[in-house]
Amino acid sequence: MNRGLYGLAAEFDDAAQLVAAARAAREQGYHRMEAYSPYPISDLDEIIPSRNFLPAVVLIAGLLGTATAWVLQYGIAVWRYPLNVGGRPLNSWPSFIIIMFELTVLFASGAAFFGTLFFAGFPALYHPLFRVDRFRRVSQDGFFLCIEANDYRFDLRETAHFLRELGPRSLWEVDHD
Amino acid sequence: MKLEVQQRRAQREPEPGAARVIAPGLTFADITAQISSIVLTRPTPFVWWGAFAVGMGLLLMLVVAVTALMYRGVGLFGINIPVAWSFAITNFVWWIGIGHAGTLISAILLLLNQSWRNSINRFAEAMTLFAVACAGLFPILHLGRPWLAYWLFPYPNTMTVQPQFRSPLVWDVFAVSTYATVSLLFWYLGMIPDLATLRDRATNPMAFRIYGILALGWRGASRHWRWHETASKLLAGLATPLVLSVHTVVSFDFTISILPGWHSTIFPPYFVAGAIYSGFAMVLVLAIPLRSIYGLENLITERHLNNCAKLMLTTGLIVGYAYCIEPFTSWYSGDKFEMYVVHNRAMGPDAWTYWTVIACNVIIPQALWWKRNRIEPKRLFALAIVVLIGMWMERYMIIVTSLQRDFVPSIWWNFAATVTDNAVLYGSMGLFLTLFLLFVRFFPVISMFEVRELLPFSKPDGGSER
Repeated sequence: MNRGLYGLAAEFDDAAQLVAAARAAREQGYHRMEAYSPYPISDLDEIIPSRNFLPAVVLIAGLLGTATAWVLQYGIAVWRYPLNVGGRPLNSWPSFIIIMFELTVLFASGAAFFGTLFFAGFPALYHPLFRVDRFRRVSQDGFFLCIEANDYRFDLRETAHFLRELGPRSLWEVDHD
Repeated sequence: MKLEVQQRRAQREPEPGAARVIAPGLTFADITAQISSIVLTRPTPFVWWGAFAVGMGLLLMLVVAVTALMYRGVGLFGINIPVAWSFAITNFVWWIGIGHAGTLISAILLLLNQSWRNSINRFAEAMTLFAVACAGLFPILHLGRPWLAYWLFPYPNTMTVQPQFRSPLVWDVFAVSTYATVSLLFWYLGMIPDLATLRDRATNPMAFRIYGILALGWRGASRHWRWHETASKLLAGLATPLVLSVHTVVSFDFTISILPGWHSTIFPPYFVAGAIYSGFAMVLVLAIPLRSIYGLENLITERHLNNCAKLMLTTGLIVGYAYCIEPFTSWYSGDKFEMYVVHNRAMGPDAWTYWTVIACNVIIPQALWWKRNRIEPKRLFALAIVVLIGMWMERYMIIVTSLQRDFVPSIWWNFAATVTDNAVLYGSMGLFLTLFLLFVRFFPVISMFEVRELLPFSKPDGGSER
């Protein structure tokens, strides 16, 4: 089955060229594109923007953890298994603080980890770009820019011409499968 | 080839070698090849097999000891009333303390933008994970009926019993299990890009598949990097208070009781400082052989040794301060039991532990004031071993000398370690060593993507070399 073209991928020499190319593509009006690099490049943040819900998700999960720990302890110590220990109040909340803190951290960390996987769509063991042999370099020293075919500005000939003008090392047409 | 030429050209104005975080003249390809070759192509060094044999031997001893313990019961430990805690809890506190330096390096130094940590954080995090695994073993073995360890968790049951949430021992269950989980998530998240590198360099189809699955399909997209970075920072922010809380909660196991020598407000900071102290000692004990066996001196440089040694010296001084304050608070309290504990520690039947602690943790580490001792690997290794021994002994001293002399002289008793006590202690070292060696063999021991960021030409605007 061939679902057609995924996009055009260009390999650049270094981070500076990749950033320049991404910026140029952005100015040309391309939106559906992605830059690939062997380490994070902060300059790309504004060129290829994305909404980052992760901090909010982590905050909510953390608060949920706090609430869970409180309900758990209050529920057990006051409702279900009340136990008089040396005349202390059943709801001896100061001693509940530690587990509330621990579960806050546990839930928030779980959300940070699994949230990242969720937002990034992982695990995703296949991706059209993996068909480009040279793309293996991206986890070592390769810098790639891929303009996707579903961008409304995308035109195979024009986009290829545009990318070639940026002076990439090489250029590939990437098929879906 | 243009890239390499450009990268080589970027090596201007070399700084003095010792001060560098990484050696000059490295390229992205060099770093990737050097670190991934340990896993993928280089033959496993002879020393690795030797150490692995030792580790497995000790691990076997642990298995035998634990089997005997399960079969015969905790009486095989030398414990009895009043010394119901001894080696097992000492080992627990020691191991969990060792883990703390890994989290300090990976979380606190990340938040403080200490980029020198980039080449040591990966194996330090692995150290944390394995140290916590060793630590977790002991409270469970110590339970008496280890197979009922799940009773520690509040789960719906028909026994009409639930954990007592006012007890620090239950807090500890939550603190340690949270710490283990968060350490694992943080470690794995940080490793995903490097697992992708291993996937992309693997020539063996089996290795390609395994690393491919573990890398989850990482492809270095800028959005993925952003989420990865956000998540790392958030996890670091969460792990920072967590790591301080874990040893605080461990110290609550002691301070919440009323036993003389334990019931003290100085314990939480004192325990945390001691934890980081022993943790940095373990980082050095692992880093020094690692860099010489695998030739990683260009990535784990003298600057790393020097910085770790300085942190060890600093935390050691905090611990030394606590040793000075303890007798003072006892004296100032006017409580005769408290004063007796101090006297008993320094002059009682186990006085040798007290003086070993003072020698190993306070006096000998003062050698670290001299720079030669901080950057000379052999000397630093020896000092780190001394600190590890001292810190184990410190926990032993706190636990045993307090328990064997409590309020009523008629129950005073002297603890003596048994073969099982020793077998479990050394066996846990075998477990740690085995896990660590397997990690070194099968995972990238240094974070490749974070070291790439340290290279001068990594920034688009050509930032300067740090």
